[in-house]
Amino acid sequence: MKKPKDTIDSSRRRQLIKTGMAVTGGISASLVVASKANAATPDPLITEIQDWNRYLGDGVDARPYGLPSKFETDAVRRDVAWLTADPKASVNFTPLHKLDGIITPNGLCFERHHGGVAEIAPSSHRLMINGLVNNPLVFTMEDLMRFPRENHLYFLECAANTGMEWRGAQLNGCQFTHGMVHNVMYSGVKLKHVLAEAGLKGNAKWLLPEGADASHMTRSIPIEKGLDDCLIVTHMNGEALRPEQGYPLRLVVPGWEGNMWVKWLRRIEVGDKPWHHREETSKYTDLLEDGTARRFTWEMEVKSVITNPSPQAPINHGRGQTVLTGIAWSGYGRVKRVDVSIDGGRNWTTARLDPHSFSKSLHRFYFDFDWDGRELFLQSRAIDEFGHVQPTKNQLRAARGVNSIYHNNSIQTWHVKNDGVVENVEVS
Amino acid sequence: MLKYPKARVLGVLLAISAATPVIANDEGKALFGQCRACHAIGPDAKTQYGPVLNGVMNRAAMVEEGYSYSDAFKKASEGGLTWDNDTMAAFLAAPMSYISGTKMAYPGVKSDEDIQHIINYLSLFDEHGNQAGLVAETSQERPDEDPKERMLAANFVLPDHGVFHLGRKALNEEVAAWDIDVRPDGTGLPVGSGDALTGMDLYDAQCASCHGDFGEGTGRWPILAGGHDTLTEERPEKTIGSYWPYLSTVFDYVRRAMPFGNARSLSDDDVYAITAYLLYLNDEVDEEFELTSENFTSIALPNEANFIADNRTDEPNRQINVNELCMTDCIATPVEVTQRALVLDVTPDE
Repeated sequence: MKKPKDTIDSSRRRQLIKTGMAVTGGISASLVVASKANAATPDPLITEIQDWNRYLGDGVDARPYGLPSKFETDAVRRDVAWLTADPKASVNFTPLHKLDGIITPNGLCFERHHGGVAEIAPSSHRLMINGLVNNPLVFTMEDLMRFPRENHLYFLECAANTGMEWRGAQLNGCQFTHGMVHNVMYSGVKLKHVLAEAGLKGNAKWLLPEGADASHMTRSIPIEKGLDDCLIVTHMNGEALRPEQGYPLRLVVPGWEGNMWVKWLRRIEVGDKPWHHREETSKYTDLLEDGTARRFTWEMEVKSVITNPSPQAPINHGRGQTVLTGIAWSGYGRVKRVDVSIDGGRNWTTARLDPHSFSKSLHRFYFDFDWDGRELFLQSRAIDEFGHVQPTKNQLRAARGVNSIYHNNSIQTWHVKNDGVVENVEVS
Repeated sequence: MLKYPKARVLGVLLAISAATPVIANDEGKALFGQCRACHAIGPDAKTQYGPVLNGVMNRAAMVEEGYSYSDAFKKASEGGLTWDNDTMAAFLAAPMSYISGTKMAYPGVKSDEDIQHIINYLSLFDEHGNQAGLVAETSQERPDEDPKERMLAANFVLPDHGVFHLGRKALNEEVAAWDIDVRPDGTGLPVGSGDALTGMDLYDAQCASCHGDFGEGTGRWPILAGGHDTLTEERPEKTIGSYWPYLSTVFDYVRRAMPFGNARSLSDDDVYAITAYLLYLNDEVDEEFELTSENFTSIALPNEANFIADNRTDEPNRQINVNELCMTDCIATPVEVTQRALVLDVTPDE
């Protein structure tokens, strides 16, 4: 009775090991044959009765909060330990190669904390509005739930996403090169309603949101953005925010760099000038080749990446029908078009864009093709509704040098070898 | 003694005048929130993944009929395990090592103080789940509400501010407690002072373990000093002296977030002193220098002028015309690999 199951598990394990080795060791793995053109012997998975065909599974109360299948061991956030000094002021990465569609599941949204995850009971949380307002106010969570509520789907990208790739191909997997992005349906209230409740004074020009965590995160935001599309949210993908995403309250700043989306939001000060705090001077400023540095580079520019195939998701099926897919986004609005190249940018074909297209949200693209088994150099190039075109790495480096850290939205190249293994490369 | 519903109504009313109701063991209750995923407690508690915890303190370890305890737990129970303050504290600190093989797959509570809060909370409940000595619960909890004690909705007093009449006026003390931000023009600086030598002692005790004795940084912790004239080099060192545009940023950040793990523990004078010492480490002042709320804005950092506004829209790559994008034969010859990630081998193992 145990036999067939063991067969499944061990073959699966082999496949995982193979994938892992391909990622880390660069072993020239042969194709992992998932299907054959013809079967020599009957498949025991079909001819024999399996455990799960016979015995009862768990009842309804086994998982009061449901979790993914135990077989989905690879769909986890991962960190890059050498990047930062301490896990409490660090980052991990969304496993983009394991996802499809445009929604990022809450448990897989990448995390970036500057003082660990604050655990705050909603009854102990307050939001204060102070500064250049007629009435400085304090709100409880119950108060905030009574403002008119809205739902919006937005991507959040860390300004440092792809920051390790400025000098050249470095990390071997889209999870690590592009995984500081997620896309979530937020439920909450427009910031403008909450500000209006306090009453803005005539000289109100800037906002300073502040977090309640141990880093007391602060960023300066121009009031025009605050009154435009910023939200104060309590829910993500239908349920309460996860602790690591700012439970019970976070600021949403659509299209702008993730650091500004202050988590555990406890205060918004209204002022007439920016504050030039640590995260907008020492960090999140973009050093250029001539030694000058740009500040207040808020918008996340048009960008895309192929998530499959990619180094963590090699092609295991040999030549023939192949699905290429990826994500594209722009901090300015909707993505209008994504072009795909399989020869390193010599020739381009416009990919099929999934029709679920929302402003400042991830878009999903597909390119179905017949792989002839020869090596490929995969690239994707996104174009947004305002005509912004995703640049090449060399175009971006020519404009900025290699020490900007932030805002690297350049075109990524994956090298698919003739055995289906994929590597992060740069090409001439 | 206040029963819950009345406290809740009071809480809502008093919220307008900013009083907070007294909460009984709020910490323990909040901490128990993480246990609630598997354990229920209270008069209506039902067995979940873990057993009901009513009256768990000061009784034998395994009493719940119908709950399927692990073999390890049965053995411990047969060995005479009783839950008192010490055994429960040891268990909560590391459940899986205290009873190896327990179904309680939880890494443990790190802080002794938190453990005691949880034990105190557990101790509140008798075997029927009734609470002794409860004063009031938090306002998020849904109590068994006694209709007599709920206030009529029509009798609620609405505040007069705003459009939706939500929230309450912040008191000056509350604004002062949170509004500690400082701007480059000195707005927000508290009255105070501190000299570099005093700052050195504070820095050595509270900052040097991460940032290094001279601000050079240990491991990957931030480098605070040095790096002058490196911004155009291949490996720029972005320090307070070489990169940061404003001194107010140092003061504001140290005051709000440092030392790492013990934020808001420094006095204002401490922060002046540490800021003065950081200026000294960056060769901006001599060791006798005293930084005060009076002379603060006279200090300019050397790199201020090198910060520019966002001009990304001027870049050539932003001038590409979509209609002129090349689609075929864009590169004359087949491309060649110029850079490979695998040669670096810095990607984490799966």
